[in-house]
This record gives sequence, C-alpha cells and structure tokens, in this order.
Amino acid sequence: MSEMWVNMGPQHPMTHGLWNLRVKIDGELIVDVDPEIGYLHRGIEKICEYRRYNEVVTLMDRSCYVAGLAWEQLYFIAAEQALGVEVPERAEYVRTMAQELQRLASHIMWYAAYVEDLGLMSPMLYGMRDRDLVLDLFQSFTGARMTYEYMRVGGVRNDLPVGFSDRARKVMDWIEKKLVEYENLCERSDIFRKRTVGVGILKAKDCLNTGVTGPMLRAAGVARDLRRDRPYSVYSEMDFVIPTHDGADAYGRYRVRMEEMRQSIRIVRQSLDWLDRHPGRVMAEKVPRFVGTPSPPPGREEYVLARDFPKGRGLAAMEEPHGEAVAYIVNEGNEHPYRAKLRSPVFVNISAAKHYMIGYRVSDIPVIMGSVDVCLGEADR
Amino acid sequence: MTAVSSWPEALARLKAEVPDAITGESARPGVLAVLAVPAPSIRRLATWLRDEGTFSHCSLVLGIDWIDHMEVVYHLWSDALKGYLELSVTLPAEDPHVDSLGGVWGGAIWHERETWDLLGIRFDGHPDPRRLLMPEGYKFHPLRKSFELREPEELEVKSRHV
Repeated sequence: MSEMWVNMGPQHPMTHGLWNLRVKIDGELIVDVDPEIGYLHRGIEKICEYRRYNEVVTLMDRSCYVAGLAWEQLYFIAAEQALGVEVPERAEYVRTMAQELQRLASHIMWYAAYVEDLGLMSPMLYGMRDRDLVLDLFQSFTGARMTYEYMRVGGVRNDLPVGFSDRARKVMDWIEKKLVEYENLCERSDIFRKRTVGVGILKAKDCLNTGVTGPMLRAAGVARDLRRDRPYSVYSEMDFVIPTHDGADAYGRYRVRMEEMRQSIRIVRQSLDWLDRHPGRVMAEKVPRFVGTPSPPPGREEYVLARDFPKGRGLAAMEEPHGEAVAYIVNEGNEHPYRAKLRSPVFVNISAAKHYMIGYRVSDIPVIMGSVDVCLGEADR
Repeated sequence: MTAVSSWPEALARLKAEVPDAITGESARPGVLAVLAVPAPSIRRLATWLRDEGTFSHCSLVLGIDWIDHMEVVYHLWSDALKGYLELSVTLPAEDPHVDSLGGVWGGAIWHERETWDLLGIRFDGHPDPRRLLMPEGYKFHPLRKSFELREPEELEVKSRHV
C-alpha cells in the first residue's frame, strides 16, 4: 500500500491543545511522524525582556494553564538568584505545599483526560470532581482557580487563610481514598490494560539521548527527580520516594503518575505540619511588593525592593508535573531581565515523538500522546 | 576507565584528554562550573562530556544577543554529579554559526532549531534546519535586540507542506 501523510491537528481531540502531529502512515502502520508546534507561540521570552520581574507573573500562569504555580515559582527562583533575594522560610513551605497541590491537580487533570481518550467515560467525571476540590483550595489562598498570580520575587503574595490547614487535610484524605478507586477503574479494565501495556515504549537509553524527562523518564526506570537530586525550596526537608516503573510504556507512565500523586499528598501533609507548628503571618511583611519601582506609593516604602540591581545570571530548575523545567535569566543591572529563557519539558518530550511512535498503529496515537501529557501553552511559550 | 565521581576530577581529566577545548573556567552558585568554549571545539568537547564526563542529558541550548556579538549557552545535566554544567560559546554578530550537537544528544535538535528560529544562529550539520515556532518564510528573528516589540500584524503564512 502507498504511504501518505495525515495531519492530526491543529484541531483534533487527541491533541489537547493547539498543535499538529503529522503522521506518515502505511495502512494502519505509523512509519514517520513530524510534530509541528508554534500555534500558541506568544513570545513570552521576548515580552519578559520588557517587563519588570513581578509583572511577568501573569504570563507565567498562562504559559502552562494546568500548572501555573510551577511556572511562576520557576521564574522567580531564577530571578531571586540573579538579583540575590532571600525568601523567608515560611514562604518556602507555602510554596512547596502549593507546588504539590499543583502537581496533584495537574495529574488528576491528566488522568481524567487520558482515560477519556481511551474511551472510559466515568473516570473522567470522577477525576474532574476531585480536581475541583484542589482548585477550591487554590481559590481560598490565591483567589483564583487557574491563573493564580500568587508568587512574588522573594516569597508569595499573601499568607494562608484561617482554617486552611484543616480544609486541605480533609481534601487530601478524600483524594487519597479516591486514588484507590481510580486505580480499580483502570487496572481492572481489560480495555485499559490492553491498550496501554507495551504501547509507546521509550527505553531509558533513548530517554537520555532525546532529553525526555519527568514521568516518562521515571517510567523507563531512571529515578531522576530534581526535587531530590537538586533540591530547591524546602524539598530537602521532605520525606518522599521517587516512584519508577520498568515498563517504559504508556501503562508505566500511568503507574508512575498514580504513585506521584500519593507522594504529593505526603509532601502536602508534611508542609502543613510545619506550617501548623510555625504559625504567624510574618511572611507577607518581608516580601517585597514592588521590585524596582522608582517611587513607591506613600506609606509602602518598606515593601519596595528598589536598589542597584546586580549584574548576574540565575538558573532555576524544577520538577514540574510534566518533567524538568528550567528558567535561565540574564540580568544586566536593570529591573527587567536582559534575556529570559524557559525550558519546557513538554517541548522536549514532543520533540522525541519519532522515538516512541514509529511502528505503532494509528489507533495507538491518542494512547501514546496522552501518556506524554502534553500542554502546548508551555511548549510554545 | 572508570566514570568520574566529582567535578574537580572530571575537570582535571577533561584538561588532560581534550586539550585546548576550553579557554576559561569560572564559578557561579547553582551550576558546577561555567566553561568558556571556543566554537570549533564544541562538538569534540560535548562528545567527551557525554561519553566520559557522565553528562548524559542535554537540558537546554539558548542564544543571547549581545548586539556586538552572540553567545550560545548549553546546560548539561549529570546524573552522577547531580548538577548542571554550563558551556558558553561566543560567536561574531555577523553570520553567527556553530557546530550542531544534534548528533551528540538528540535532545539538542529542537533547542537548536528554536535558537535558529528566534535568534538567527546557524547550527552547522543540523539534521533538521527548519523554523520551529515562527512560520516558514518569516522575515525576522524576533529575539534579536534589533527586533522591537510591535503591534500584532497580518502575516503571509506559506503552507509548510505541499
């Protein structure tokens, strides 16, 4: 049979975002793929060069719409390094807790969308229901459900509200119980197992060569996690394990994400324990509200971090829900960066598509791409 | 040969086994070291770092427009040393080009495509030298400092495929 190119995207239920997967097929067999991105390119790196540090927070939210807090913190860690700003300890614990809630929300969102791609409808409804509980928590301390604008250079915008700890613990207990139900829905389903086991294999050697990170890499048996290997924030104080799987397939990625959710719940509980033991709303006073504003509003002078910005560079690396995210900031002594660069894990994971798609069938495409967990907002930036 | 177990050991072996591959070394918090690399020796150095220096993961390639010259920065991750190594290559402002590392780490291919697309730095021997984020046929490299922010414009976008 003759080969032909098929465009899956930019509008296609499989894509979960705006991008185009060009697939060369021979009958049902995939012989070549060519992912095309850029449909969501908004020039965030260019705009960063024109905005003061704190003004970029809205863009970071929108660079990944399911993990906004991760990108906010990533950019500000790099900025804090470049500018030499200290973060209060309490703010670090709040950040860590927010990161893990974000990972939980992102993974549940992935679960809901992925299992629906495979034709199982009810897990999606359960997943969306439980993710909403996490979004409620976000709303209670950031004021928003998806675009939070919560992190600041040197800390976070505000402290946690009264009674937050109890509410968060209840939600964690609930989700921990429901994770068992999620797993039963999937693992007892022949359809789910038959469609995911042994599909989309990317072995550890290829993962390392192609730069693939995150759950895809850990599903191939490589226990690399920047939370442990290069601890940022207060992850060095946290007790958690790095789940791995040796399947290197779509099923392995599903297993890794399921275990990661349990570890996230553990870390959230540990952060809440620390925050309960160290009460006080001390953090907000120490966090500069305005970075580099030449004339602060009257009476707000103590909130301003306006001084000679040093020349410097900052490199921040974080384990985002999708993998290794890196921000690199070059500061030339201004209140905005000279060059800001964001490394998106999804960008790299998509770029390796040739390595995990060729040789499978057309009907496997949603299964494989879903297991990669794509979010095009951060790939295109 | 045993694998290196610390950065000073790696650096000593690097200087002995790949002579003249680096012209400067400096320190910065957050990275193992920053190495200044002359453009012609980047591929030789990268291959050594991958095979002998345990830097199995090419995390990031980016370009910086310094107006009078260009800079390409590479970030490599080592699972054994648990840290990032930063390589910096200085290129002339006129027709900047450097050897592609796409043959050393497959993960560098799209980063280099993006750097060509947004900054106009060519990567010699690149396996897939197309635009990535901007449309094919776009006149500018928008991350260059000579490109000012502007209002949205209508683009004549040619179809990428025939």
